[in-house]
Amino acid sequence: MKIGVYFCKCGTNITEKIDPERVENEVLALPNVAYCKPCEYLCSEEGKTFLEQDLKGEKPDRVVISACSPRDYERTFRECVANADINPYLMQMVNVREQVAWVTADPELAVQKTVHYIRGAAKRVTLQAPLEEKEIEICPEVLVVGAGPAGLKAAMALADSGRKVVLVEKTPVVGGMPVRYEELFPNLECGPCMLEPIEAEVFQSKNIEILTLSEVAEVVGYCGNFTVKIRQVPRFVDMEKCIGCGECVTPCPVSTPNDFNCGLDQRKAMAFALKGGLPNAPSIDMKACLRAKGEDCTICRTACPVEGTVNFDDQERIFERNVGAIVLAVGSSLYDCAAFPDLAYGKGGDVYTSLEFERLLSASGPTGGKVLTRAGAPPRSLAILHCVGSLDERHKPYCSGVCCQYAFKFNQLVQHKLPEAKVFHFYRELVTPGKEECGLLARAMAHPHAQFIRYGNIADLKVQAAQGTNRVRYPDGGAECELEADMVVLCPAIVPSEGSKQLAAMLETGLDKFGFFDELHGRADSGQSKIKGIFLAGTCQSPKDIQGAINQGMAAAGYVLSQLASGKKLKIEPITAQVREDACSGCQICRGVCPYKAIGFDLDHQASVVNPLLCHGCGTCVAACPSGAMDGNHFTMAQISAEIEGVLQ
Amino acid sequence: MTAENLNNQQGQFEPKIVGFLCNWCSYAGADKAGLAQTPYPPNVRVVRFMCSGRMDPQFVLQAYEQGADGVLILACHFGDCHYKEGNFRATQRHSMLLHLLKQEGIEEQRCRFDYVSAGEGDKFVQVVTEMTETIRKLGPLHKQFISNCEGDS
Repeated sequence: MKIGVYFCKCGTNITEKIDPERVENEVLALPNVAYCKPCEYLCSEEGKTFLEQDLKGEKPDRVVISACSPRDYERTFRECVANADINPYLMQMVNVREQVAWVTADPELAVQKTVHYIRGAAKRVTLQAPLEEKEIEICPEVLVVGAGPAGLKAAMALADSGRKVVLVEKTPVVGGMPVRYEELFPNLECGPCMLEPIEAEVFQSKNIEILTLSEVAEVVGYCGNFTVKIRQVPRFVDMEKCIGCGECVTPCPVSTPNDFNCGLDQRKAMAFALKGGLPNAPSIDMKACLRAKGEDCTICRTACPVEGTVNFDDQERIFERNVGAIVLAVGSSLYDCAAFPDLAYGKGGDVYTSLEFERLLSASGPTGGKVLTRAGAPPRSLAILHCVGSLDERHKPYCSGVCCQYAFKFNQLVQHKLPEAKVFHFYRELVTPGKEECGLLARAMAHPHAQFIRYGNIADLKVQAAQGTNRVRYPDGGAECELEADMVVLCPAIVPSEGSKQLAAMLETGLDKFGFFDELHGRADSGQSKIKGIFLAGTCQSPKDIQGAINQGMAAAGYVLSQLASGKKLKIEPITAQVREDACSGCQICRGVCPYKAIGFDLDHQASVVNPLLCHGCGTCVAACPSGAMDGNHFTMAQISAEIEGVLQ
Repeated sequence: MTAENLNNQQGQFEPKIVGFLCNWCSYAGADKAGLAQTPYPPNVRVVRFMCSGRMDPQFVLQAYEQGADGVLILACHFGDCHYKEGNFRATQRHSMLLHLLKQEGIEEQRCRFDYVSAGEGDKFVQVVTEMTETIRKLGPLHKQFISNCEGDS
């Protein structure tokens, strides 16, 4: 074994404290060290050329580079070593500049410490093994789950760059939540108008396959190579044939609560979820249809001008697709207001969630955009309760981020539609970050009929729902106050959507403590899940506004394009964990501690198996293995142990 | 080299401390102290892991056996771990170690766990300085433990 040591002087940065000759003398006495060469700036072009040439001449078996922090230069020197035809993992760096020279007052002690470190590195490097970066073929196609703003933009960006995309949407129409909003904050832009051009582009793209009424049923595989099964429930209308005329809808004899309008009105069993939505084809709600009750009703099929479009025998379908990456953009829900019995939600009065109120404001909603109470009268007064469940340790401790802004949007729209109506804002905190977002707040504050009432605890607010009007009781100082509000609008916290848990379990991506999809890093990588190849966009990751959701959708597309570049192979980092199958007891403790679900279990051999593609090389499983069967490449038990021994000698 | 060899010119005991640092936070914090050129006692010898979650308790025991008078385990702050929860695993293993060390009669101050972020060069200096002082006061690790270990092996 021949170890070559290079001692970078870094100008005078290192040699000001550490005498290279003394280091050289001591290092040359270490076992296997064949030479120790002090050099000038090793990271400079001249330094790197010298290193490569010298390594080619000396042909050492192992290399120790005593210089600066490996965090900054390990990659550089690995390249040099590789250029000299030595495996880059047979090199070990010693951080003399940042962790000895610059921080040790006494030059004598600095020399000693440097020698300890070089001894540790020499012992360690002796045991280091050559590692190869493997490459695998990837499938360039992408699955996008959820066709709200985030999913649509991600799909479109990917399709524009030539990727084939499968876009899966649970509901009959694309567009997500904003197509339900007549106007968007902060500039009162029309929601459907903003989204329709994007939807149209998606529908026209030859690279996007859109599967509505569909959900992911099964996923196997890993980054670069997932096989996905998608389950599509029957629409009973052939979208290829349907011309979207709606002739089938009018004569349908059955009415059922309209989910799209939060049950505030009725739809036909055969109906468009949203008029003008895409795809422009109705669907049958089979739970409501007379045929499900055994009757042989064929009214819709008879009314349809295109033969064969309405198909009562339509069946559930399973589509299988291969994709290299998955973008999750499944959105979120609203916190259940039944958790606040004192707010009288669902007790028959005029108490609405913000989403229901959005539908009342919408031209495509149950009242055609007129703000009317259940009795059909325009309200004389409205109470808007902010922070229903948000910023509340007993419910959701986080701020949902958008409620204040839509509440002031409501203020603006109500003022426009009902100039005489009073609006009471019961708020806990007012949050309107962003360069444009303060406008609606300012207008609400200037509104002569708007009143702001701050409360400390939502439990102090009591709504008494009654026919005609509601009474809202609240504390003011020591006194109990009361006011009348014909309508009460609750702004519930944004919470994870219902299916998140199941989807996360299927994909093995974690959920955070609130149930949102867990990101790889809160600030640096919030568009990536902890599982390689699975990306996050929109409110399924955290509450956010449309701008944030769309940006994250674009970010997810960017991650896919940069990490799974088409035509390129996927590099597998060699610093991963590895199982010695014969030593594995099959206890599976490693699987429990792995944050990336990178460890599978081979039932035939009763042993854990590391998927090097998913492994990030942290080594937690190695430390956890009670049998010593798991080891970490480049950070093996033996290598670390040798380093400890070396630095302590 | 034995602990006695490290006695400084004033005859004061100079402890040997092994520091297990994670690559992303605490090792970067140590580099930060370097960039700031803040001097600190040279007693800590750093061994770098990718994650504090790699810290196998056996490494700590090995360090004591091979002459360390103290061990420092430095991790990312909770919520900052590059690998999500490796630092949490490290705290669990540290608590377990303390039980074990107690049985061996080793003072728990000889095995300190702390959090140093990539920006906390000052904290790194503070922790290393405190640890050096603590171990200096405690004196060398008693030989009994070392002979026990040798007996085991």
